[in-house]
Amino acid sequence: MREKATTLYIGPQHPGITGNMMIRLKIEGDTIVKATTEVGYLHRAFEKLQEKRNWLQSFTLMCRFCVPETDPMEELYARAVEAIEGREVPERAKYIRVMVLEFARLASFMLWYGGQNGSLGLYTMGQWSVGDRNYILDLFEELTGGRVYHMYIWPGGVRRDLPKGFEKKVLKTMDYLEKRLDDYDNLMFDNAIFKKRTKGVGIVDKEKAVENGVVGAVLRGCGIKSDIRIDEPYEVYDKLDFIVPTQEGADIWARALVRRQEARQSIRIIRQVIDMMPGGSVYNKIPNPQKWTLPKGDAYVRVESVRGEIGMYAVSDGGLNPRRIHVRGAAYVHAITLLEDVLVGENIADVSAIMNSLGTCPPEIER
Amino acid sequence: MEEPKSKNIQETSSPEGDKRGAVKAELISKIKAAFENVTEKEHDGNRLDFYVDKNTILQILTHLKVSEGFIHLSHISCVDWLEEGEFEIIYILWSPKDKMKVFVRTRVERENPVMPNIDMVWRQANTYEREMREMYGIEFDGLVGEREFVLEDWEGMPPMRRDFDTEAYADETFWKRPGREDAMDVREAIIERSREEIPDFAKKYSR
Repeated sequence: MREKATTLYIGPQHPGITGNMMIRLKIEGDTIVKATTEVGYLHRAFEKLQEKRNWLQSFTLMCRFCVPETDPMEELYARAVEAIEGREVPERAKYIRVMVLEFARLASFMLWYGGQNGSLGLYTMGQWSVGDRNYILDLFEELTGGRVYHMYIWPGGVRRDLPKGFEKKVLKTMDYLEKRLDDYDNLMFDNAIFKKRTKGVGIVDKEKAVENGVVGAVLRGCGIKSDIRIDEPYEVYDKLDFIVPTQEGADIWARALVRRQEARQSIRIIRQVIDMMPGGSVYNKIPNPQKWTLPKGDAYVRVESVRGEIGMYAVSDGGLNPRRIHVRGAAYVHAITLLEDVLVGENIADVSAIMNSLGTCPPEIER
Repeated sequence: MEEPKSKNIQETSSPEGDKRGAVKAELISKIKAAFENVTEKEHDGNRLDFYVDKNTILQILTHLKVSEGFIHLSHISCVDWLEEGEFEIIYILWSPKDKMKVFVRTRVERENPVMPNIDMVWRQANTYEREMREMYGIEFDGLVGEREFVLEDWEGMPPMRRDFDTEAYADETFWKRPGREDAMDVREAIIERSREEIPDFAKKYSR
């Protein structure tokens, strides 16, 4: 006898959901037969506001697009403005930018460690990793004055130079975090529960990935080697030595293995950057922001974040304000068409694990 | 203005720049042979723009995906050119093989805009198109998906159009805090209540 389908609403407020959004599930027993993503709980009209503000004022909104990853957004804005204007960035600022971006990646990996395990009921990891994330936030606080929203990478360079003795502190923190990553391996990757709950769950194979425009660790988890830092190197990534890990499994487990290796690569990059950092100025001054106009033109720039490629399309009509700023986050493609597809046939209990694995970030979808 | 020029020469004379130039030239000749009314614009680096008619957009995107290796649809954006009475829609494609970005640009009139739907080529285009339908009022032929995406019970002008007045909408929709109607501008309220002198530079930025 066929079971009757029931409708189940997950979200907008739910501990397993990565922000305020809702998934409407049709279930038969425990199995999902249809999923529909509904967004609209976080719309703040940032892109409309940016059209009403001048080029520097709209920069301050950028870091608020997605809370766990604020620096990639600032980097996008800075690079788009520099591309339209043709503004040069000092060499030292480029290295500092890479360092900050990798800090942001590490901090975001730490949150992901907590989220991915928390979604399976393994709460110890979240307490460890979110606690260790605070050491990176301490570095951010010393460097930029803010822990979460930094507004540090801005058009023309970065806002201020490194404080005295900062490099030493960074290296010490990296040593500590590298040791901690081994502890995480014991807790997470040697855990039978984690293995059983993630292997063969939330499969995104190669065809589905290309069809859906999938990016980042999800793409690398199904065996496609793709990373913006290698494909279209920005700042000084072409001078650095790091590997882009891939896995063949295409499930949550494979994506977790990819992210595990990437966190180590971030530490490796930060050490190289500290080692290679040249001297000099960090900022090419922009004109008076109240009178600052950009030439007519447009630019599309991309950054590799923990969740994958984030792109920004910026248009200038020669006026004081941007004509259009349009951000495309990784979650924009992952959390709607792909998630609706992947959830079919899965168990209700795995919904939040799949969402975490795909890097869902609702504020980024609505902007 | 001298510096960018010399940088360009350096870039095109490098082996990588030569290879990229050859790829661009080949792609332009192929696209021009296959489609009519296509104009192109070359940019620095790995970017190439095509200006096409909106009716050929589906064919040209399919061709780029299937035959030219532009398998990744990176972005679809819409710009409202109010003064010219048109929307511009930009499809940004990425080729992992050639490390090239192609912008396919088309224009559609602002009055009753209708575009071809491309979500059978890339599934994620569905989300972009639903958002454009809601925010700009552009209809897509045969687009499946709920009409409501981000907004709820929205009536009237789509909010991302340039002629939508955000401030008037806020004044109409939201009420002022009772008893504080006079204190909407903090600086003016201070002047009125305390008769305090405010320096000129501060007055300049008040509404």
